[in-house]
Amino acid sequence: MTDQDPLVRFEGVKKRYESFEAVKGIDLDIARGEFVAIMGPSGCGKTTTLRMLAGLEAPTEGTITIGGRVMNDVPAHERDTPMVWQSLALFPFLNVQQNVEFGMKMRGVPEDERNTRALMWLERLGLKGFEKRRIDQLSGGQRQRVALARSLVTEPEMLLLDEPLSALDAHLVIRMQGVLSRLQKELGITFVYVTHSQSEAFAMADRVVIMGHGEIAQIGKPQEVFRAPRNRFVAEFVGRNNILAGQVSGGEIDIGGLRMPLPGAPDGAAEIVVAADRMRVGREAPETHGIRAQFLSEEFAGTGIICYFEDADGAELKAQVSEAELEALSPEPGQSFWLTWAPEAAHVTET
Amino acid sequence: MKTAGLLSRLYLAALFLFVFAPIVTSMVFSFNSDRFPTVPLGQFTLDWYRTAFARPEVWAAFGNSLIVALSAAALSTALGFATAYTDFRYGFRFKTAYLALALLPPTIPLVIMGLAMLAWLARLGLSGTLPGIVIAHTVMGAPFAMAICRMRLQQMDAALEAAAWNLGASPWRAMRAVVIPFSLPALISAYCLTAAVSFDEFIVAWFVSGLNKTVPVMILEILQGNVDPQINAIGTVVFLTSMTLVVVAQLLLLRRRDP
Repeated sequence: MTDQDPLVRFEGVKKRYESFEAVKGIDLDIARGEFVAIMGPSGCGKTTTLRMLAGLEAPTEGTITIGGRVMNDVPAHERDTPMVWQSLALFPFLNVQQNVEFGMKMRGVPEDERNTRALMWLERLGLKGFEKRRIDQLSGGQRQRVALARSLVTEPEMLLLDEPLSALDAHLVIRMQGVLSRLQKELGITFVYVTHSQSEAFAMADRVVIMGHGEIAQIGKPQEVFRAPRNRFVAEFVGRNNILAGQVSGGEIDIGGLRMPLPGAPDGAAEIVVAADRMRVGREAPETHGIRAQFLSEEFAGTGIICYFEDADGAELKAQVSEAELEALSPEPGQSFWLTWAPEAAHVTET
Repeated sequence: MKTAGLLSRLYLAALFLFVFAPIVTSMVFSFNSDRFPTVPLGQFTLDWYRTAFARPEVWAAFGNSLIVALSAAALSTALGFATAYTDFRYGFRFKTAYLALALLPPTIPLVIMGLAMLAWLARLGLSGTLPGIVIAHTVMGAPFAMAICRMRLQQMDAALEAAAWNLGASPWRAMRAVVIPFSLPALISAYCLTAAVSFDEFIVAWFVSGLNKTVPVMILEILQGNVDPQINAIGTVVFLTSMTLVVVAQLLLLRRRDP
């Protein structure tokens, strides 16, 4: 066993319920000290995957190893995989400190030590003075931190987080993201973070795992997944992408009559992805290639404005423009524009 | 608008009068010195209480009722909680049938229940014994206890128990450290309510009690002999005991639910 060995290894893990397969065979290694986000739409199997890691569900097939030990048949309470729950699952009949001490109490840590460690963690998470409060006397952000303290006080090697920020207000989410990132770096422990939110995953994770329909669709660094989605599913789930289908022949792709160089691509059917922020909009026909499309509507998206268009075939296209660009274009619904992109902005997916 | 408000208030008052007048009458006459319930009332007296509670069989009946009520309530609550927890925790085939069966006893006509219990307990050699009455009252009380516990468990986040396992509690430990503390108000409430059900129950107790009479059975026997305000005095004590139990149960049930 060396530090290079992964802390967690999923090998061909499947989870079947009576009539449906929630997880259809996944292989995944998670390194020590890594922050991994498992992301996907609801029902993609991400929570089931996390629950299998915690021992709350047993895999139907395949093996899960933690630190080199096969964990398939180890019950939840004999694992050291504390979890922060979506609902937080704080015990309402216990006060803040009793909640934090719960795990240590179950493991037979003496009272003095429990007390010292609980107080230390409460102080570390900015909850000093709240020890005797009831859970229902705390704000959402404070509860979140109690849940974190309760999980981290036993100093585990790994923390599991199941959509922990989904119940918080937007401004608190950003702040808690900071708290989580900092804690993970300081403690150097592994975080496995399940979420459906791209912004959370991309802001914090070293690696993201995109899941869909019980399978892993792509694993990579956030930037890789964002800029080079491996297939249509990822391209639709991550970011704001235009997906264009065409035929490749001789280093060119033909998208409904529009020809664009695509060096190195094998001949045959192909899909290219162009991110909305790489799509350019103009009233004049571009010199090389472009798609003529009617303006539909616009949407303010914080960093820019997303403009929606419809091409002659009725397919929706999106382009992100700045406020100045929008003013210069001043599009009206129904007007026609040309959409174009630099050839290097197009990324070919696997089909 | 104003008349409608007034009318509905009058209606409410009439309703309460209709429900409580007999009980209040009985209470009033228990303190009345006249032997027969007539108006105008005689003087205030505690004599009927003194005479009633001077009789050893009254004390014996109260003792029996107390033992039966406390034991039957404990058994009903344990059984009801276990049934409710099974429903909360596990999914299985025929669950609807399981629930329907568990909730069935209160719908059985009491005379049938009493006859069946008599026949069955006689076979077990328990008819006419206190354990026999306890068994009969447990059967009658358990569905109520289950309904109460189920209501409470439905408010429990399923992740709460899983969180306890996740923090190192074995399933038994999690039951003791999380599920039971969470359900405690419902458990106490179920205990009080099933104790009240048993304490008041007459028909089935009449079939199975034999010589070990409970209070309601004894009241009937006294009534068959001679009617005097002692009955009112005993009735008042029974009513207050049951009401106290029911009110405690209600208070616990209505307490603001935990977030």
